[in-house]
Amino acid sequence: MTKKDMKNDPYEIIDEWGVSESDYQTIDKEAIERITLGANILATGGGGDPEIGLKWAKNVLEEDKDIVMVQPEAIPDDIQLACAATLGAPVVLTEKPPAKENTELIFEKMEDYLERPIDATFPIECGGVNSPIGYAVGGERGLPVIDVDGMNRAFPELQMTTFATQGVSATPVVTIDDHHHSCIVDMGQKNKVAEDIVRNIAMKYGGISWIGCYPMKGKELKETGVLHSQSLAWDLGKTVMKARKKHEDPIESILEFLKEDRGIPGAHIFTGKVMDINREFGSETTHGFSMGRVTLEGIEEYEGQEAHLEFQNEWLVAKIDGEVKCLPPDMIALLDPETGEPIRTDLIRYGYRVKMIVLPAHENMRTPEGIETFGPRYFGFDEDYTPIEKLLEVEDD
Amino acid sequence: MSIKGKYRIGIDVGGTFTDGVLVLNEKVIAKTKDRTTSDVTTGTINVIDNLLNKSEVDPTSIGMITLSTTHTTNAIIERKGLDKVGIFRLALPTGSAIPPLTGWPEDLKEALGGKDNVEMVPGGYNYDGEPIAELDEDLIREKVNEMADSVDTFAITSVFSPVRPDHERRVAEIIKEEVDEDIPITLSGEISTISLLERENSAILNASVISVMNKAINAITDAMESRDIDAELFIMQNDGSVIKADQATDYPIFTLASGPAASIRGAVFLTDIKNGALVDVGGTSTDVGYMVDGFPRESMMTVEIGGVKTNIRAPDLTSIPLGGGTIIETNGEEVKKLGPESVALDLQRLAKSYGGPMTTVHDIAVAKGRLDEDLSIFTTPYATQPEKAKDIPSKIVDEAWKMIKERVEKTIDEMKTDPEDIPATLVGGGSTVVPKEFKGTTQVYESEHSEVAGALGATLAEIAAYAENVVDLEKRDRQEAIDETIEMAKNNVEKNGGDPEEAEVLDIQEVPFSYMPGEREKIRVKVKSKFKGL
Repeated sequence: MTKKDMKNDPYEIIDEWGVSESDYQTIDKEAIERITLGANILATGGGGDPEIGLKWAKNVLEEDKDIVMVQPEAIPDDIQLACAATLGAPVVLTEKPPAKENTELIFEKMEDYLERPIDATFPIECGGVNSPIGYAVGGERGLPVIDVDGMNRAFPELQMTTFATQGVSATPVVTIDDHHHSCIVDMGQKNKVAEDIVRNIAMKYGGISWIGCYPMKGKELKETGVLHSQSLAWDLGKTVMKARKKHEDPIESILEFLKEDRGIPGAHIFTGKVMDINREFGSETTHGFSMGRVTLEGIEEYEGQEAHLEFQNEWLVAKIDGEVKCLPPDMIALLDPETGEPIRTDLIRYGYRVKMIVLPAHENMRTPEGIETFGPRYFGFDEDYTPIEKLLEVEDD
Repeated sequence: MSIKGKYRIGIDVGGTFTDGVLVLNEKVIAKTKDRTTSDVTTGTINVIDNLLNKSEVDPTSIGMITLSTTHTTNAIIERKGLDKVGIFRLALPTGSAIPPLTGWPEDLKEALGGKDNVEMVPGGYNYDGEPIAELDEDLIREKVNEMADSVDTFAITSVFSPVRPDHERRVAEIIKEEVDEDIPITLSGEISTISLLERENSAILNASVISVMNKAINAITDAMESRDIDAELFIMQNDGSVIKADQATDYPIFTLASGPAASIRGAVFLTDIKNGALVDVGGTSTDVGYMVDGFPRESMMTVEIGGVKTNIRAPDLTSIPLGGGTIIETNGEEVKKLGPESVALDLQRLAKSYGGPMTTVHDIAVAKGRLDEDLSIFTTPYATQPEKAKDIPSKIVDEAWKMIKERVEKTIDEMKTDPEDIPATLVGGGSTVVPKEFKGTTQVYESEHSEVAGALGATLAEIAAYAENVVDLEKRDRQEAIDETIEMAKNNVEKNGGDPEEAEVLDIQEVPFSYMPGEREKIRVKVKSKFKGL
């Protein structure tokens, strides 16, 4: 194998690939902030606090390392990619911020196991800490970050990606502890089993683990990923910041941008005030997830209506006056009406005024395998998946 | 020292005014409002002199003075007089990707000595109390000696120190051995809670304002001595409790948001309502806080100070740009906009009811007849030309009044935890410019002296303390773990000068660890007690 001893330079790598200037962008501090904001709108209320990842990425830039984002169309089919992330209890992560050596080790162990070097990386999801971590590790390691992820939103488990539902294994997964010990889990297509094993390993490590996962080729990434999800997050973040600056309605700006620029038909379906939050406790029922139900009382043009939201880390099901309006993997965002700031399931509380918007999941998420892996029944809801386009049509009749 | 049966002075330093009160057995004997001076200390001493002059009480009969001050806030915001801080993080092999001071504004970093005095060394514990790495004491001694000549104070942060402080304490011992027995050392576990980066920031900021706090307290103590005041000096803290001045110099960061906390305590002093909303109306903004058992509810959010994110305990507060000077934009027939702009300190030059050109919230209150008496504490009347306010079309007056009411109502509602109606208390210099009835409240309380609520709140000397524990409920009995945490908190309250016999549990929080199988949770207990000499 040809292990790279010297630090990579992302510009050299994309130069080797022959990437044209229009197919890559340099990520600076403002860009990473915008991407993180946009990703958290797409995160569907989940993913947790991105702060640690954001700080890491900014520190990487402060150390004059380059972070470069490349369009997926511009990458060669035969390059080797892998993704780095953290898995486990967010509260432990807040006490044990990442070590630089983790990144080195994740990639080195993965390279040893695959017997070839990793050429590029990508964030696994939009939202939460793993979104900016994709950029931080790219910068630390000197690898290009590809404009793609595995869901265009956040989900809580390793197997919940468009890569896995379309046949790319999450494993081998490299898991690293604080002391640079590692386990490699190689489970073929048994991705859910891999998830269970990896989560238990994280507990034995002291609550969190740094993982390398989803090793794949350029061709596989292009075929199974949600392409351009990073630039979508970036543009969403820019849209919200612009609306704030110009004192425009951020929610209208978001929906207009999605429709006009991306052809994504999102809809503002409710404005309400949080009346009640019913959180469930006890690991027996919640399996370590933050679970519960939120009741919103309609205000303004929605006065007299009532909305219910079920959540398991992410918002999953939205109902208005008992009628289902959104089912997973379609996306729900609760946004602050004035700032457009997304409100997470772990932070929502009584009295918050929110606007609820729903967005269709990416087509790669809506395959039969996708619906089986992260549709309503997987999360325990006795409903067949119906796309929001259909659910909202009913309302118009 | 006993302060029973003696006069008490409360002082509340605000951005514009420094308020002072002198009370005896909760009866207001004298009150004053003076301009805040740029050094804060002069204005504070002026207030003490004013109170002595107005009341003519014998200085030796004063038993305590409590100060809610902005000395440390100003020092951090202005980057003035800050100590150089030696920074230790005991966390390796974790954490190296985000070193101490990451994300700090350059000028603030510079003011406390820059990155030269930062060391990351092995240490810290896991949540279960198992060490991540052993301390390398020789290495730490070497690093301490390298820094010793260029720093004034030290800040030490280790992983999970709120659960297990041993490593932080050991490094403090080493520093004392190597440098000086009396060098100020801040241990992060004594400053704030779980979340290493914010706790470290809090500890570093605390270490940077120790001299500022020391100087302020020395100046005030000297002023007291020269006036024959032999009283206990207390400092108001963010959580609404007080701390003895000699201890406050160890934890100056706890004074950073003491103003709003003092107001909430003031509402308790004035109305004896201990639960519900507190609406503190000023000239340009209104703060809405929430009282639980007479203390401010704590914010769950990070608190930014001088551009740095911290997790110090601070009152949960929503601030809206609505005060007496808030400008009402009209087209002559209807209200176009309510704020956020304000005439601020130019009320008497610009507002209609003083003959000025602008319509302000103050003028609407005058037109509504809500403001119809002079505030005795100011030398100026509430309006020199109240008839000008009566000229505002009644449609505009009613519309604006409704908007003001709704804005306060919405903010009160957002501070609640459930839909139940709650009592609300109005305080602050501008409390008479807003309506006295709000939807969602059982009753709105208002009281004489509410314009000096913060200073009054400062005269209530209650001591508080905290303790934190992380437990695995699969291995330990829940109640036993809670009881143990309560005992820890009671020990702490005694250390702070409180009477452990009188200690009352104010709050028990249990936070389960999410994304993690098993039944691990964090238990946090807050207790309060009376000052031992009371």
